[in-house]
Order: sequence, then C-alpha cells, then structure tokens
Amino acid sequence: MSDETIDDRVEGAAEAETIDFANDDDVAAPRRRLLLTHEALAALVAELAAAGTPAVAPAWAGDAGRAAGATAAARETEYRTVSGAAELAFGERLPRLSLKQFFLPPTEVLFSWRRSGGGVELVSAPTTFEDQVVLGARPCDVAALPIVDKVMNWDYADELWNARRAATTIFGLSCGVEDDSCFCSAVFLEPAASRGSDGRLTPVEGGYLVETFTDKGEAFVAGHDALFTELAAGADGAALDAQAEGFRAAARERVAANLQVDHGRLRDWLDHHFDDPFWASLGPRCNGCGVCASVCPTCHCFDIVDEPESVGRGVRRRNWDTCQTCVFTLHASGHNPRQDQNARFRQRVEHKFLIYPLKFGDVLCTGCGRCSRACPTGQDLAEILADIDALAAAGEAAS
Amino acid sequence: MTELQDTARRLLDEGAVRVVIGWEGGRLGARPAFVTSAADCDRLIFDTRCVHNLATFLNPRRSQVAGLGKAAVVVKGCDAKAVAGLLREAQLERDGVVLIGVRCGGVVGEPSALEPPALTAENVSSRCWGCDVREPGSVDVLVGEARPEPPVTAALDERVAALDALSPAERLAFWTKEFSRCTQCYACRQACPLCFCERCIVEKTEPQWIETSPHPRGNFAWNLTRAQHLAGRCVGCGECERACPVGIPLGLINRKLQQVVYELYGYTVSEDPTVPAPIGAYATDDTQDFIR
Amino acid sequence: MTGTPTAQAGPATTGAQASPQTGTIYQPDLVIVEAIVDETPDTRTYRLRFADAAKAASFSFRAGQFGEYSVFGAGESTFCIASPPTRTGYLECTVKAAGKVTGGLREVDVGDVLGFRGPYGNVFPVEEWQGRNLLFIAGGIGLAPVRCVIWNVLDRRDSYGEVTIVYGARSVADLVYKRELEEWAARADVRLVVTVDPGGETPDWSGEVGYVTPVVEQTAPRPDNAVAVLCGPPIVVKLTLPVLEGLGFADDAIFTTLENRMKCGVGKCGRCNIGSVYVCKDGPVFTAAQIKTLPQEF
Repeated sequence: MSDETIDDRVEGAAEAETIDFANDDDVAAPRRRLLLTHEALAALVAELAAAGTPAVAPAWAGDAGRAAGATAAARETEYRTVSGAAELAFGERLPRLSLKQFFLPPTEVLFSWRRSGGGVELVSAPTTFEDQVVLGARPCDVAALPIVDKVMNWDYADELWNARRAATTIFGLSCGVEDDSCFCSAVFLEPAASRGSDGRLTPVEGGYLVETFTDKGEAFVAGHDALFTELAAGADGAALDAQAEGFRAAARERVAANLQVDHGRLRDWLDHHFDDPFWASLGPRCNGCGVCASVCPTCHCFDIVDEPESVGRGVRRRNWDTCQTCVFTLHASGHNPRQDQNARFRQRVEHKFLIYPLKFGDVLCTGCGRCSRACPTGQDLAEILADIDALAAAGEAAS
Repeated sequence: MTELQDTARRLLDEGAVRVVIGWEGGRLGARPAFVTSAADCDRLIFDTRCVHNLATFLNPRRSQVAGLGKAAVVVKGCDAKAVAGLLREAQLERDGVVLIGVRCGGVVGEPSALEPPALTAENVSSRCWGCDVREPGSVDVLVGEARPEPPVTAALDERVAALDALSPAERLAFWTKEFSRCTQCYACRQACPLCFCERCIVEKTEPQWIETSPHPRGNFAWNLTRAQHLAGRCVGCGECERACPVGIPLGLINRKLQQVVYELYGYTVSEDPTVPAPIGAYATDDTQDFIR
Repeated sequence: MTGTPTAQAGPATTGAQASPQTGTIYQPDLVIVEAIVDETPDTRTYRLRFADAAKAASFSFRAGQFGEYSVFGAGESTFCIASPPTRTGYLECTVKAAGKVTGGLREVDVGDVLGFRGPYGNVFPVEEWQGRNLLFIAGGIGLAPVRCVIWNVLDRRDSYGEVTIVYGARSVADLVYKRELEEWAARADVRLVVTVDPGGETPDWSGEVGYVTPVVEQTAPRPDNAVAVLCGPPIVVKLTLPVLEGLGFADDAIFTTLENRMKCGVGKCGRCNIGSVYVCKDGPVFTAAQIKTLPQEF
C-alpha cells in the first residue's frame, strides 16, 4: 500500500490537470520491417497450430448465430485460437469480445481447498502459462492491456494476470476504423497505435507490412524466419511503406471525426458534478445489464466466490463482474450506496474518465466503441462524453 | 409519427403523465427515449428500427424510471403482451400507466441504422412472423397508419424443428457449445420485461442455488432455469437474445418452450391480462396426466 | 482482555505484505480458531492464530487495518482486526451474523481452520497521538475497530493523556466486549460512559440511558489537545460528527473507519470505491475532514 494519504491525492489533483497522457510506455520506433504475404500468413497459422501452440486471432464466429432476424452480413467475429487460415477474419468486423478474456478469464480458479484430518489443505492455481501468440489484434484491444497492468500491479502484483501477460506475444493489426462508434483518437490512441504490442501488421498489397517493437516480437519473427521477408530497399520497399502509411493516415482522419474532447475539462466537470441532473438523463435508459463491461477491453471488475465441488472440498474462483448490477455494492445489512441506475451509470463514467486517470495517469478506455454498439438500449459513450465536454465548456464560459 | 407526437404532447400538457417512454432516433439508430416536456415530443419516432420492448422500463424496481413519475409507454403489440404479463402478475396497476399503442408492420432485428430500413425476409425480426397483435387492443390510445404485413420468415420455427430432429446427444452437444460462451452477465435477464424479481434466484446465496461462475455446469443451470421461469410467460420479443453480447441463440429455447406450452395447455401469451396463464392459474379441471 | 501486552510492535508493514509462502495474493494463510466468545446473541469474537509458525512469528499489523477472513466453502468476508497490535501471537475479529459467510462463521468451532489475508488498509496514526487526550466513541459493533485502538493505547498508557470512552448499544444484551467494559470501568485512568437506547435498559442497569449522540453531548469532552475516534452505524456517525464539531473538535482531529462492500481487499476488483477513494487501499481510516471531500456515496 502506498503511504499516500487522501490528502496527498487531493493535493495531487491539481497536478492531475496536467497529467501527461503521452503513453509513457509507448514503444520506440520499429526495430525491423518485414513483409508477410497472405500465403505466408496462412503457413504461419498452420505451423503454429501444428506445433500445438495455435495462435489467437480474429476469426469468424463458429456458432449457430442469433435466431431473431440477424442479417447474413451480420456474421460475427471473435478472438480465438485458430487452426487454419480459412478461419481468419483479419480486418473484418471488430471481434465481439476483447482480448481481456485471455488475461482475465471470465472464470478463473484462484485455489482449491480440501478438508483433511482436522485441517485444510490449499492448492494454489498455477501461475505459469504456456507461451501464446496473438496475431492481428485491434490496437484498441492491445492498448487496453498496459492500461489495466497498472491496477493489477497497484502495490500488490496480480500474479495470474502478470503471468498470462508475460507468456503472450502480441502482434496488432492496423485498423481501418470500424464505424462511427469508435473514438480511439479521442483517448490518446489511434487506429494504428502500437501501445502494448510486440509487433504490428499493416495491410499492403499482397499481404502485410510487419514491424517489430520488442524483444518478444523479434523472437517470434526469428522463430518463423522463413515466412518473413525483409522489406526490399529502393522503390518496391518505399511503395509498400507509402501504402501502409496511406492506410494508417486515412484511418486516423476517419476516426478523429467521431469525437474530440478536452480531458482536463472533462475530469474537472466529473469531479465537481457528482449530483448533476445530467446523470438522471442517462440512468433511466440503462438496463443495468452490464453488457458494456463484458465487451469492454479495460473493464476488469471481478467477483470472488467459493464453490464447493464435493463434500469437504471446493475451489475459490474469480468471475467477471460489473458495477452496473444492483447488487454490486449491496451490503449484507441491505444498505446500498448506489441505489439506482443513475448512480451506477455515473460510477462507470467516473471510473473510466476521472478515477483511473487520477490514480494511474491513464483513461480507462481505448475508444473501441463496443459498449455503444452492444448496448441494448442505445447508450452512446462518444455522445455522452461530447455532452459532458459541452456542459463543461459552457460552465467554463459562464465563469 | 405526428399522431404519436401529438398524443404524447397532449398527455404531458394535461398532466395525465409526467413522462412518455418511447423511441427516438440517435446517432447510432433508434433507442428508448424518456420525454418529460411537451416541447421534446418531436423527438418521438416509430419505424422499423423500434425494436426495443419498452415494457421493460415499467419494472417497479427501476426506481430511476419510477421516480420520473406516472408514465405513458409506447407499445407495439408484442410489447403490449409483456405489459399484460406485468398486469397479470400484479407488478403494475392498470391505472398506473397509460399505454399508447402503435400499429406495426414489423421491425428489424437490430435498431442500429441511420435510416429505417425496408423490411425483407432476411432482416425482419423473427418475432414478427405470425404476429396476431399488429394493432394492440388493450391500449388507451392507438396511433399510426395501418401497415402491411411483415415479410414472412419461418426461420425460427425451422431452426427449432432442426434441433428437435437431432438426437439428445447431438442436441446436448449443440447447447454445450453455445453455452460455452456464456459469461453469466445476466444481460438476458435485465433486458427481459418479465424478469422482474426483486432478488433473482441466481443472486440468492443461502444456499447458492445456481452457481454464478461461467463454466458449463453453472451456465446450463442459469440458462435452463431462466428458460423454465419464463415458460408460459415469454412473449417472444427477442430482447434477451439481442442483448446477449456473445450471440447465444436464446430465441430457440424460448420458442421451443412456447411450442411446448401450447401443446400441453393450448395457450399462447395473451395481450389480455384477464386471460390467465397456465403457470400461476389453477382450475379444477386442469389436466393431471403428468401424474403417473 | 487476557494476555499481557508485549513490547511495542516495531514499525510494521502498513500495506504490501510479504508474499504468502505459496499461492497468489488472493490465497489466504491458514488460521486456527483458538477461542470463541459470545458477545451478544448474534455477535461473536473469534481468536485466531496462524497455523504456520513462521507466519505467526513474522505477522504484524497496525491499528485500523483489516483482513479478509475465509470460511472455506462459504467465502471471504472483511472484518477489522479487533485485537491490538501490542498483543502478539493471535488476532481477533468480532462478527455479527448477517449473510452467507458470517452465517457460516456461526457453525465454526474452536479448532476449526479458517483463512486470513492481510493486513490491508491504512492505519490510525496512534504514534502521532502520544501526549494527547483521546476520546473514543462507538455504537454497537462499531466498538470492534475502536477497541483495537483503545487497547493499543492502554497498553502504552503512560504515552497518552486522558482517555474517555463513550459507548452505546441498542440494549444491554447488545453491548459487545462486556468483560472489557467492566475492566475499563474499574480503571482509574479511564473515564468510561456506557449507554443503552431508551427501552434497552434492564432493571439492574446502572449505566446511562439514551442514544450515543446526546450522551456524548452530556459527557461534554473537551477538545483541547484531543483526538476523537468514532465508529458505529452510519446514523450514529452522521449525527455525532456535528456534535463533536460543536464541542470544538477540529475536522482533522476526528477519525473514523468506513466500511464498504469488499471482495479482493487489494484495490483490484473495483467494488469499494467512494468517488476516487478506495476504502481498501486509501482507507478504511479517514478523518472527518477527508470524509467531507468524498461524494455522498456510502
């Protein structure tokens, strides 16, 4: 636990106005630049699967599909291990869940207990994991990971999260912007952000420009050397470079149009308008379903439960949870500090755009837009942030 | 649309209600709206994107809605059936809500389009097939022009039949695979107008009847228990499945149970709250052939 | 309270605990129930000692900190450490049966094995209070965290000025630590006022009758060079704070301990925050001045 008292934090809030969000662990310039053709990518995926270490990649969802009138074009994608290129869905729809499930699984055993003799034996969950590679993840999903690393290492190190992080090598895929719900550029990222990634793929003619950023990225490429070719010098290489940069630049421009906010002003408004009637304009529409938290790359709240498995033995698990449910903060006495959805929805926005920045210097959001797309009642986070920023600006103008 | 907006305006001006719950068009499509002033009534729309079952907002536990005051709620026929369910099960007083019915020609599966799409056999919601309440009858006001019948799609019943044709082992494998994605987020429950329990069975801890952990055992327990609790009550609005973030085809289970209830009791969910449902009503001549 | 105080516990870790012998930060150490005392019909005090001798020898904490206590099979629950840091070799918690885990605790016998994770949270700055007069106010089971500080102080009596304790409960039966109340009453260097709510007295009750707040007013403690420690049900805290201010106590001289629904205890599960403050990490000890800066969400 840090020795920082609440007074220090309150004093520090003035400094928080000038939090430097330039991603402090942003990667340096690419170390190597290579070409990976579509054929080579297929071979890579097959090679990894054959070795028993299949890659995690965006793939066409293999499920039955929704019953209630989904159109054919609405076929969904998901991140999962793939055994062949036919499954890959690079650059298709944003996978419905983020990468979070690979680092904080929806359910995870913490330890098991067994009563024996007069006592109890505990067996801890393993904290080493097989190496895994993620290929073609969206930058908004990848950047979420170093952001959540901060709370997972706030004085106490979460060994399970950290071990999964250490075992995973991640290659992002420069994004062409999903739709009007994204706003990565409004939260200090961009569609080709490299934050958190060990390497990055960018679509070019014939395949992908591949850049490596870290030792892990280098090691992965070295392990599959034959499939990557050095970028040719001269006109050919320059042409591919130009293509890649053209792709990235167009994406940046597209997403920037979706939202721009002043984060200092936003935080200030959130810090001083806890009881503002604005929250009562959002709460009624909210179902309290927590789909936003399920699909969110940065939401990490969890529940801890004991689960008997047989007489005298069982496990303790942690499971995904969400501040949006009515029982999240319910005391055993029946007292509930957040009594209605106005309060619970406010908590979500404040956690992401005020509390996490104050405590960790990062917005707890990567602008992927999933919450807005998935929300059954149409809560639109970009619109909400724009509305708050407008209120804040009006407040500034008035004073 | 003007008739809907005028009706809403009149109700608010007269003080008959304090809020009109309807739909509005947003940046990302249609969504529920809570209109509290007459001046805002021109936000209200009704078109093929108006999928949402607004009866869900009448759940008395939603204190942030109840706190807005007496409501008028805009309902399609399927939504009106859900309101009837709430009335039937004593969650609402009839004079505690004003129902504005809309004549409906069907809706699409997803509300997110900038312009209302024309309905086709591919995009129409499966709830619309065989709809018998395109003009809701149990409402206080009925607005809107008569609309043509929605395009026919029997896709849902065909898929249920295909599942029925499987062997039990194959069917188990199907659902094991579908439920493997469930994270027990309970969005299905929150979206459902008839899941209104103050404390859901899955939230009861002494004892923990249903495991909350999203593993196969817990997921089967949760999904099947919820399906059972809705048997005879589910209006087939599809909101549960639309809410599910991982696309579990809950509509297949609910439709199957609707068929089973019909076979056993000759009952389909009625828009008339005085028509008793098989579960929750007792008659001395109820069949007892299941007692062996 | 039985057991003699040991030498002052050295500067203890206030937070990042030495990692447990095995397992993750979510895995508890095993503790054995040494003794159980029925405080009231629904409240018990459990005395626990670590099963592992090395852990028992190295464990220390400071007043104000809490732990996550496991009843394997039922779950984990958050309770303050109710015994003082000056008494080593065991730790105590005082628990009212309210839900699944606390209900499960009622089934526990001496000799049973439970789990403990901690100590977590921040501390009452007891060392800084040396030389000052201390006022302790508690309601009901709120006496548990305060009792930890009281014994911490009484075990170092010479370092502190006047000690005044005002404690109230709904009825005589609901008073916790009844034997210790008698011990404190018998001490010449402690002023103890015990009260029960009107209607809660028994025919032979010789203490005060009245709610805690007016009894504090009647007791009229002086604010000079004084620190107040206050804990109880939210209503008691809410009503007593203005009384203390009226008596001249400065906001930063009034300390309380908050509770909120918790699970992980280490700032990760996202559940216990009040605004930007996480009760498990930035608290649970707060001054009245700090509480005033918090949004009213607790």
